[in-house]
Amino acid sequence: MSTNENANTPSARLNRFKNKGKDSTEMRRRRIEVNVELRKAKKDDQMLKRRNVSTLPDDATSPLQENRGNQVLAHWSVEEIVKGVNSNNTELQLQATQAARKLLSREKQPPIDNIIRAGLIPKFVLFLGRADCSPIQFESAWALTNIASGTSEQTRAVVDGGAIPAFISLLASPHTHISEQAVWALGNIAGDGSAYRDLVIKYGAIEPLLNLLAVPDLSSLASGYLRNVTWTLSNLCRNKNPAPPIEAIQQILPTLVRLLHHDDPEVLADTCWAISYLTDGSNDRIEVVVKTGLVPQLVRLLGCSELPIMTPSLRAIGNIVTGTDEQTQIVIDSGALSVFPSLLSHHKNNIQKEAAWTMSNITAGRQDQIQRVIDHGLVPYLIGILRKGDFKSQKEAVWAVTNYTSGGTIDQIVYLVQAGVLEPLLNLLSSKDSKTVLIILDAVSNIFLAAEKINETEKLCLMIEECGGLDRIEALQSHENEQVYNASSTIIEKYFSAEEEEDQNVVPNSTADSYTFQIQDNTPNSFNF
Amino acid sequence: MFVSDCRREFYDLIVTQRVLLLVASDVDALCACKILQALFQCDHVQYTLVPVSGWQELETAFLEHKDQFKYFVLINCGANVDLLEILQPEEDTFFFVCDSHRPINVVNVYNDTQIKLLVKQDDDLDVPAYDDIFRDEEDEEEDSENESDGSEPSEKRRRFEEEVIERTMKRRQRREWEARRREILFDYEQYEYHGTSSAMVMFDLAWIMSKDLNDMLWWAIVGLTDQWVQDKITQMKYVTDIGILQRHVSRHNHRNEDEENSLSIDCMRIAFEYDLRLALYQHWSLYESLCNTSYTSASFKLWSVQGQKRLQEFLADMGLPLKQVKQKFNSMDMSLKENLREMIEESANKFGMKDLRVQTFSIHFGFKNKFSASDIVYATTSLMENVEKEGPETTNFIKALDSLSRGNLDKLHQGLDLAKKQLRAIQQTVASCICTNLVISQGPFLYCSLMEGTPDVKLFSKPVSLCLLSKYLLKSFVCSTKNKRCKLLPLVMAAPMDVEQGTVIMVGIPPETESSDKKNFFGRAFEKAAESTNSRTLHNHFEMSIIELKTEDRSKFLDALIALLS
Repeated sequence: MSTNENANTPSARLNRFKNKGKDSTEMRRRRIEVNVELRKAKKDDQMLKRRNVSTLPDDATSPLQENRGNQVLAHWSVEEIVKGVNSNNTELQLQATQAARKLLSREKQPPIDNIIRAGLIPKFVLFLGRADCSPIQFESAWALTNIASGTSEQTRAVVDGGAIPAFISLLASPHTHISEQAVWALGNIAGDGSAYRDLVIKYGAIEPLLNLLAVPDLSSLASGYLRNVTWTLSNLCRNKNPAPPIEAIQQILPTLVRLLHHDDPEVLADTCWAISYLTDGSNDRIEVVVKTGLVPQLVRLLGCSELPIMTPSLRAIGNIVTGTDEQTQIVIDSGALSVFPSLLSHHKNNIQKEAAWTMSNITAGRQDQIQRVIDHGLVPYLIGILRKGDFKSQKEAVWAVTNYTSGGTIDQIVYLVQAGVLEPLLNLLSSKDSKTVLIILDAVSNIFLAAEKINETEKLCLMIEECGGLDRIEALQSHENEQVYNASSTIIEKYFSAEEEEDQNVVPNSTADSYTFQIQDNTPNSFNF
Repeated sequence: MFVSDCRREFYDLIVTQRVLLLVASDVDALCACKILQALFQCDHVQYTLVPVSGWQELETAFLEHKDQFKYFVLINCGANVDLLEILQPEEDTFFFVCDSHRPINVVNVYNDTQIKLLVKQDDDLDVPAYDDIFRDEEDEEEDSENESDGSEPSEKRRRFEEEVIERTMKRRQRREWEARRREILFDYEQYEYHGTSSAMVMFDLAWIMSKDLNDMLWWAIVGLTDQWVQDKITQMKYVTDIGILQRHVSRHNHRNEDEENSLSIDCMRIAFEYDLRLALYQHWSLYESLCNTSYTSASFKLWSVQGQKRLQEFLADMGLPLKQVKQKFNSMDMSLKENLREMIEESANKFGMKDLRVQTFSIHFGFKNKFSASDIVYATTSLMENVEKEGPETTNFIKALDSLSRGNLDKLHQGLDLAKKQLRAIQQTVASCICTNLVISQGPFLYCSLMEGTPDVKLFSKPVSLCLLSKYLLKSFVCSTKNKRCKLLPLVMAAPMDVEQGTVIMVGIPPETESSDKKNFFGRAFEKAAESTNSRTLHNHFEMSIIELKTEDRSKFLDALIALLS
């Protein structure tokens, strides 16, 4: 992880504010990846299997298509295509290019590598410039789009063939279906990763792309067209290490803000994803986005209850609150917290998890920000997740509670305890995940520190014992993880070595040569847990 | 995926690794475990053994050990669920699953990388074809599905032919394919049954590597016999597998046949026998064994006065003095014992018991100790499900495992004593259930529930004991009832499990018929009934037809089950 990224993780915030050395996001991100990879691995397996099984002839699906299309191209071999493309006859070149495009757009096993090996890419790139024959521009653009949609190596073949500037020129084509195809191709190239994304930007793609949307009313554009442009723009914002150049982002942002007010759900979803990419970075990157004033609209979309839009907008909001207290405040002031009751109890675990993660970064903030969390009634929801969320969400909620207890005022911590955090929090001590156990023990220490200040330690001990927490903490003393062992024994020694403690309070304290009795005075207005 | 070369694709891989052995609590699993342990010992394989009695323990054990181990061997558990789904392992974790539970989960079958099935590919596997159940997501479909999911847009997109008709055609095909897939999977997963014993699979491995010992062969025999005693496999399968083992037995035990005198105290010999189907009779009295063996007690209807009379007639017919019959078998007159098997068989035939003798094996340790394979099964089962608490949960498991080593005769004898207690308890419970008409017809199945406070009820809170009781009860009920329809019904049986938590354990068993294929549909049925009533149930046992549920939810659960099966 680069230092740049680290600056944003909640742990880094904690480091700054409270000098605590924990790395929360590292493990969070890791779990996500593992899951995704597993699913992917399974799918890859299936595909491999499929390849083994299917010794079907290549044209299993094609006859039907070809008959309906151009009768001339019953089924072209790659050799025939090469011959056609290299002929001097424009009509033949067009037919060959179309045949190649058809091969490349069939569902199963498009022969991308064969086409590349046949050296067809430079020819197709050349055809992109044939303004005299727009059909061949279109067919070659489509063919190249599909080649670029493959592996990184396949995308590289397209870029090496000089396609980027050719496609950028095509953006200005008077034929919308051709400029749309160029948009799509550039999206595939930029989607390959940071390097090609920056190359596309360097060739000057942004301005002509944005020009395509320079109409008074976005609704006048065909919806498919607008979706393609939005998607390509989002790919220009995507990927880190490095993030896209800041000037490029500043150039794109006004258009994104405009798209964020459009009414097509797919456009909105992709725009929100773009914003989530842009906010996934250092504080100054977040600042650039926040400055455009789009947060209130983002919050509105957060409450739209359409999962495809909600997911990325929550991601973006969550990213923004990893920033400075002021940036977090903007999110709060835009009314985001009022959406969280429904997010924290959402039926999708993933939403719950992201929402809890967002909360954990807000409770890591200032005390007045913690107070806003309380005022919006969100504490019971967090406790609800601790009680019966899925484990990933629980982990995030634990973080939220621990951050809260380490930064909150005594009053705020008392409220948290009164709201019933102890039992579900302590129940999670039985988790197999030692990291989580450690964070919980941290929260427990923090709560004890607060209790000490108001002389309620014994009461707290009793409460912990009553909900079975003491047994759990005691059991942790035989934990294999040394940190867990240390943390749990410290708590036990400090607060639960019952006899000694009573002794200290009741039994005469022998100082020097006189005995003094220390009697605890319960001031009437002490906090009652 | 199925492992075809156990040595190359399993043993050679793990022999240099640290291995975690997860072993279920049944005798076949213990025997397979013993064989593997013996192999590990001779190759100095580092392993850790963790007993697991159910899914929860399996998951916990995995979570606890996943950081230290990459190689997991599962014995008699794991084949019939999607392991990757429930355990969420890292990609470099491998599972070797030796399990007799069927049907095998299709993902386990078709995962090439992490799941390796050490399973004999019996004829009745009938795994659906890959293409019928898996299919590459079409990108367009995936896109729209993903979007409704709220997942990230794809980084690159290919442009397909976009003919509207084609798309709808494709969608219709897809729907049809999915419907067919559901049907295929339903058929495939509907019945639970058992395949070749895991101990036999492990023995095969040892044999292929030329590392098979007579001890290992005995464990394989006990594993198979466990399947037969627990009624998990068909008569046909049992006889076939006995035949396979018999060839190994004669290979291993031919030398000593003519030289009885060469037997020493620590010498062991396995012999094929056509033995009496009377439980533990060589360690009991013939009379007790006749009374407590389900086959004879059900045939005589021993719970009735007439039944008792028939038993006396039977003994008289054989011409055995009551005094001899009631004393320890060991002390019976040698002259009587000589032709005992033939005598009993002859009389049994007259009394309508045609199958009193059965093909099995016995083992001799030196001169003194002789055990039949089923003796060992009963003893080991009883040790494993011993309800008298002695230390932590795993004590029973370890004890049962130890009793299988021939050096531990004391444990084996303790097991035999427990087994006798268990068989008596079963017989008494069966008698009282039948005499007090506790078995009721619910329409699609018979139902019997043991009350809290019934003698020995604690014994039946354990799965294997409860299953044995159910099978004996059903057999006896079929003999006792005159209602022809009832004779063909399966049985659901419930017993109190944890009084404090208010839970019952429930098991469903298939009908008792001659030609029974031993396939059990209650696993799925329980699942559905629980779902539809929101009953608080726990499918914690590797045997899907055993379920735990809250006592209060029992009646609505049963109502749903009746509705489902009617």
